[in-house]
Amino acid sequence: MRAGHPLQLAVGPALWGLWLVAVYAGQALGCLFGVEAEPNVRRGLNVLLGAVTLCIAAGLLWQAWRLWRASPPSATERFVARTGAALDLFAALATLFVGLPIAELPPCV
Amino acid sequence: MSEAEGDRLHQALLAVWADPRGWRALSAVSHGRIGRRFLLTGGAFFLIDGLLAMLMRAQLARPEQALLDHRVYNQLFTLHGTLMMFLFAVPILEGLAFYLIPKMLGARDLLFPRLSAFGYWCYLFGGLILLASLPLGLAPDGGWFMYTPLSGAAHSPGPGADVWLVGTTLVEISSLAGGIELTVSILRGRAPGMSLDRMPLFAWYILVTGLMIVFGFPPLILAGVLLELERAAGFAFFDPARGGDPLLWQHLFWLFGHPEVYIIFLPAAGIVSTLLPVFAGRPLVGYRWAVLAAIGTGFLSFGLWVHHMFTVGIPLLAQAFFSAASMLVAVPTGIQVFAWLATLWTGRPRFAVPMLWLAGFLAIFVAGGLTGVMLALVPFDWQAHDSHFVVAHLHYVLVGGMFFPLVAGLYYWLPHFSGRMPSERLGRWGFWLTFGGFNATFLVMHWTGLLGMPRRVYTYPAGLGWDGPNLISSLGSFVMAMGVAMLLLDLGLHFRFGRRAPANPWRADTLEWATALPPAAYNFASLPACATRHPLWENPALAQGIAAGRHGLAAADHGRRETWGSEPLSGRVREIVQLPGNSWLPLGAALALAALCLALLAGAYGLAGAAALASLAILLRWSWVNGAHPLAAPDARTEPGDPPLHWRTFDGPGLWGMGLSLLADGSLFFSLIFAWFYLWAVAPNWQPPARSPLPALALLLDGLLLGGIVLGFRRLVARLRRRDCRHLEARLWGLAAAGLLQALGLAWILRRTPLAPGAGAHDALVAAIFGYLLLHCALGPLLTALQAWRVRLGLVGERAPYEPAVLDRWWSYCLLAFAIGYSALVLLPAGWAADR
Repeated sequence: MRAGHPLQLAVGPALWGLWLVAVYAGQALGCLFGVEAEPNVRRGLNVLLGAVTLCIAAGLLWQAWRLWRASPPSATERFVARTGAALDLFAALATLFVGLPIAELPPCV
Repeated sequence: MSEAEGDRLHQALLAVWADPRGWRALSAVSHGRIGRRFLLTGGAFFLIDGLLAMLMRAQLARPEQALLDHRVYNQLFTLHGTLMMFLFAVPILEGLAFYLIPKMLGARDLLFPRLSAFGYWCYLFGGLILLASLPLGLAPDGGWFMYTPLSGAAHSPGPGADVWLVGTTLVEISSLAGGIELTVSILRGRAPGMSLDRMPLFAWYILVTGLMIVFGFPPLILAGVLLELERAAGFAFFDPARGGDPLLWQHLFWLFGHPEVYIIFLPAAGIVSTLLPVFAGRPLVGYRWAVLAAIGTGFLSFGLWVHHMFTVGIPLLAQAFFSAASMLVAVPTGIQVFAWLATLWTGRPRFAVPMLWLAGFLAIFVAGGLTGVMLALVPFDWQAHDSHFVVAHLHYVLVGGMFFPLVAGLYYWLPHFSGRMPSERLGRWGFWLTFGGFNATFLVMHWTGLLGMPRRVYTYPAGLGWDGPNLISSLGSFVMAMGVAMLLLDLGLHFRFGRRAPANPWRADTLEWATALPPAAYNFASLPACATRHPLWENPALAQGIAAGRHGLAAADHGRRETWGSEPLSGRVREIVQLPGNSWLPLGAALALAALCLALLAGAYGLAGAAALASLAILLRWSWVNGAHPLAAPDARTEPGDPPLHWRTFDGPGLWGMGLSLLADGSLFFSLIFAWFYLWAVAPNWQPPARSPLPALALLLDGLLLGGIVLGFRRLVARLRRRDCRHLEARLWGLAAAGLLQALGLAWILRRTPLAPGAGAHDALVAAIFGYLLLHCALGPLLTALQAWRVRLGLVGERAPYEPAVLDRWWSYCLLAFAIGYSALVLLPAGWAADR
């Protein structure tokens, strides 16, 4: 998708939304099916969720950087690309902030 | 163009655009008329609802008061919340947007006028059903979010809950229609050259709101249908004994319910971002930041729903996700607040009456936002949950965040409705009484809540420390009511005594002030290009040029309503959108739907079926009078050099309307699939049969036939794009016949499958999902057959190739939904069973 495409205004925040649903569902399902597992094994769920979080945040940051450096042909497309870059950056920071508890809290308590 | 020619143009346009008078006015579809109806009806519901609030505050003023008993009190607080959220806040803001958006975008109307008229009638009838329940003693009493199991048949056996479910569903259809209408109109109906980065900020906020409605309302529509199926037909969705889960309702409700708060707030923020720069005398500081904040808020709002469920026993880690997300929403909101403050700081604010209401908004909303951050903290929420603290918080956010900007906006745009200016003195009295009364009521209520008073209790014993605060709140609420009365007085008197409004009375920058005051039914005699964010600041004489017919589409001798259809990104003109004129079809369709609702409430299922068929027939007639149909296009000629009429192209607004409708439909289907997986994973008594009752192979063959139809339709549209219309009618008849075969096959499979939806949630969801698919697959051949018939009549073909492209999306959606349904209900359970 080109940098000035209007959907660039939705991609980053939508990815954040999908990530949130994924970690919420992943945590619930992981606890449901791993309820008899050892606490250490269950803590592995944190590692998995944390890895997903970091990957998504990294992808969003890369996308923000790509859009920021793009130079679309018209002023309107530049507006879209720059605003999209800012939204991707915001989505990346939101992913890291909302994902922060994964580093601290046990998953199933 | 001379003055006489300008007058002739005005008369010619009026002949095409004027709303009918007398009883025929019910067939009007113009955005001005529909917008005003929404505003007036929303205002009426607000006043009635305010009276309910007064009754409740009178009851709570003293301990052990016996003004109302608990039954009536329960009905009052349920209807108060329901009416304010569904019948006042959303519809009145949509109505304001209906009225303003075409004028701000330099257009003559919204792009689907019949849809907005249909939305209005659904809203009115749904609202009347809800409201009528109170004097009839049939009002719902389970709270405005109708939690199960309280709202289930066992604990709410009367018709009250059914009234809620049926009435709100009708109103939700209205809101959804509005969301689709506004989104497409903003994306495809702007003035030439009004690119996205030059669009008025109000349109940005409404665009985000429209999309939020498209995604946010369907989960609640689904939840309502499921609960009504459980109550009326005994299906099992929320009953834990039969494999359901009451928390499923909470998830579906709040998947809608939290975005709803921002669906209400964002248009109000759009009003603020429109008015503040005018009264500060300078452009808003940080246009791009405001756009970013609106989009960010819209998305974040879909990730907060679980914060309404912190006390239901969710693991701490999951609560922490939603706690953090809830705090995070303060960031885009904060960006907006700082942009507004910076605009005031760097401008020269004039404290006219609208500006007072904006100042009141800033003070109240910021306080409400701060208590919101407090409630986002899980331990604090546990403490304050279901107390009056939450009631105070939500009123600070909703009244501060929506009512105050709305009144500011009404004052600001009042000359549009009356051609007159409001009174400064009465306006100030109205503001200060409302502002003071509101804070006396709800600021004190925070303490009442912290002192431990739960919400939704009809009375309380003396001596708990709640007597004083409750009395102050009640007195404050009556002062607020006096403020609202003052407001009404001012509005009423100004129609008679207000001084005549001059042109552009507030020295505003946006195009809605380039119309006459009040505006003519066609808005602009000619449609101007717009290459700036502030057209009237840069060219104060624009209005004269528009009225004199110096800009585009300055003709009406063809007898059709029309406006520009533009590219979503650049605003470049792409086609002329031919708009439908006055029509009885929207009222007829809404009446049939209302009859369906009443028949369902009465348990007259035969009548309900007849009403459903009647509404389908009217809607099909609606789709028939379109495009090249002689009633829709009496004269389809265009001026040399003008772009084509939209139905002569492949990308008219209808294609976008269909796309957005399918997104909403997809949101509903996603919620249904979510329910399937949620109950499968979480419900303690979920009991799938050892072997799925669904015939996997037969379903697969049926799906393959559907895939073949979709491929065939794709090829047909591709040929049409190459202007190859050979055998078009025969091909469409063939596809319709294949579609009919596929739908009948699906119906046969369902009939042969032994399902017991009353016995367990598994079978209930299988029936619901396949019922959904069957409905969609059955409509496909019907619509395709109608297209074949239109080809025969010459209404679709090489010169009118547009409609099959619209229908193509429907077929593709059916295939996608079928594939997802098949995977979720057949493939995954089989794979899961094999794995175990």
